[in-house]
Amino acid sequence: MTAIPHETTHASRTAGIAYILKKSLISALVALVLFSLMVGVRTEAGSEGQLTYWTRFGEVAALVAVVFGGSIVIELLRQWIGPNGTDSLVPPAVRSGMSFLGRYLAPALLIFTFLVPVIFYDQRYILDLGILVLTYVMLGWGLNVVVGLAGLLDLGYVAFYAVGAYSYALLATNFGWSFWICLPLAGILAAFWGVLLGFPVLRLRGDYLAIVTLAFGEIIRLVIINWQSLTGGPNGVSSIPRPSFFGIPLDNSDNGLAARLGIEYSPTHRIVFLFYVILALALLTNWVTIRLRRLPIGRAWEALREDEVACRALGINTTTTKLTAFATGAMFGGFAGAFFATRQGFISPESFTFQESALVLAIVVLGGMGSQLGVALAALAMIGGFELFRGLENYRMLVFGMAMVLIMIWRPRGLIGHRAPTVFLTKAHAISSDLVKEGHG
Amino acid sequence: MTAPLLAIRGLRAAYGKIEALKGVDVEIKAGEIVALIGANGAGKSTLMMTIFGKPRARAGQILYEGRDITDVPTHEIAHLRIAQSPEGRRIFPRMSVAENLQMGADATGGTEAERDATLERVFALFPRLKERYAQRGGTLSGGEQQMLAIGRALMSRPRLLLLDEPSLGLAPLIARQIFDAIRTLNRQDGLTVLIVEQNANHALKLAHRGYVMVNGLISLAGTGAELLQRPEIRAAYLEGGRHG
Repeated sequence: MTAIPHETTHASRTAGIAYILKKSLISALVALVLFSLMVGVRTEAGSEGQLTYWTRFGEVAALVAVVFGGSIVIELLRQWIGPNGTDSLVPPAVRSGMSFLGRYLAPALLIFTFLVPVIFYDQRYILDLGILVLTYVMLGWGLNVVVGLAGLLDLGYVAFYAVGAYSYALLATNFGWSFWICLPLAGILAAFWGVLLGFPVLRLRGDYLAIVTLAFGEIIRLVIINWQSLTGGPNGVSSIPRPSFFGIPLDNSDNGLAARLGIEYSPTHRIVFLFYVILALALLTNWVTIRLRRLPIGRAWEALREDEVACRALGINTTTTKLTAFATGAMFGGFAGAFFATRQGFISPESFTFQESALVLAIVVLGGMGSQLGVALAALAMIGGFELFRGLENYRMLVFGMAMVLIMIWRPRGLIGHRAPTVFLTKAHAISSDLVKEGHG
Repeated sequence: MTAPLLAIRGLRAAYGKIEALKGVDVEIKAGEIVALIGANGAGKSTLMMTIFGKPRARAGQILYEGRDITDVPTHEIAHLRIAQSPEGRRIFPRMSVAENLQMGADATGGTEAERDATLERVFALFPRLKERYAQRGGTLSGGEQQMLAIGRALMSRPRLLLLDEPSLGLAPLIARQIFDAIRTLNRQDGLTVLIVEQNANHALKLAHRGYVMVNGLISLAGTGAELLQRPEIRAAYLEGGRHG
């Protein structure tokens, strides 16, 4: 099936330097034609309205040189990295190193994450960033259930985040309920809205589904803005209670945690506490997702992504399968929303724009749909990267756009496109490993 | 005389305004292999799909073990121990062979022991699937995918198996393997099979009885051997195909 493109790539590799040079020359030529007009000739309206122009051949030469050099670098990189599923020229040593990395990366990351508040105790900025990254990791894992596993493209995920946030904010400010009571309620309410969204879109797939979910996200936001009496409209909800350590407040008062433990109060305690709360929530999301994937319902989600007609023929109720996917994803979004509200202490509709949905979706797609580790890495790269490139200001989005395009070219299935199977042979069926080795192509 | 396992009476079905089935009568007795042959667009696949309720029947009846299943929801049909290997195989490409097979067993219940026993049976029929157990479904060859589609259908331990064009696009040797497996299933396991085929020669040799469909109607019925002898069948579906 893929034999022909394979052969051509092999041919291109054996052609080596000559091929790369030829390709780069063509790129440079195209650049020359384009830039000689776009950059080479500069036109402007003169003082009396007449057309004045001057040439800038130096700049053109520089641009063409950049394109030429860039093409060579890209071609070399392409040969080194190679797309998924093809033999790349990566030396075996590097490859075994990669597989070693793959095996221990997740546990290492987890241990490191646990230690972040210890290592960076004095650096409030890093802790805040860590909380932010973990929030997006959790959102990514939640959306991954809907998009990655069930294959339902949801562009309005932020709606459930908003429902969770407002659920907690309103329950806590109006009734004084504690965070730990409101958290499950926020999840349930978000799941309820997930089902509500699910019903009308049951028959939709792909682009149509995307449009409806996009509209749903906007509807929730507009309702929040306009339902002033309940939500406070654009002013949002303020003075949302902070979470307590199982009833013990984390403040400077006499019965605060610090006073009870007899240690000196520091505002960092609360940050560290929040860090571990979101870490626990994210890990809960991950654990539940991994468990569900091994159950019939999780398998049904994945099968639904692959082929809906076949699912029905096999006796799977696609209605309930889709609704549970929406509800599960929405529930985790709701949890994350409640956490967001308690961390910020203030929420307004501005926090729940389409941009958030797009960001979370980008995390899922970049990470590799369905891959838990990939989503976590993508969240780290996206959110951490945003902060890292803060100095670039307006060019930040440009850098990110470029990065995303490059990742999609080189790794079209996302950072971690590998999908681990969930069904294994029981002992009676055990067979030798050389028989199950997967062929390439 | 025993009642048929599946009886289709005056079945009509349509896609929008285009009527694909115009009053079809088919009977399948327990333990039979029944072949349904006919040209492209005759309505063979539609008949198969209508048994599963997609599209819904406009008129007529589908009786399974004497029970009217015409309006049973699609996903519940599989629970009645009717399984389908759909046209174009429709395996789950990104899921492993193991997961594909497990999907067949998931929705219809059964104990783990039953599942393992059925799995053994599927592997005995199609040893290739055992070899490729951990491989992704999409990386299998066409013949292996067809084996997987049939194996997946068998995992629900059906009484009636519907096969839509199992030999489509397969090399003759592989197609023969598939047909042999179907014969084995019928003889040894007593499985009742309805097979839709364009490969009339193979299908009629395999089947106890056959139906010929033309333009949404059954035009001929008889035993497989009888139909193979009929000059009009030979002209239309056997020799004609070679010259045409």
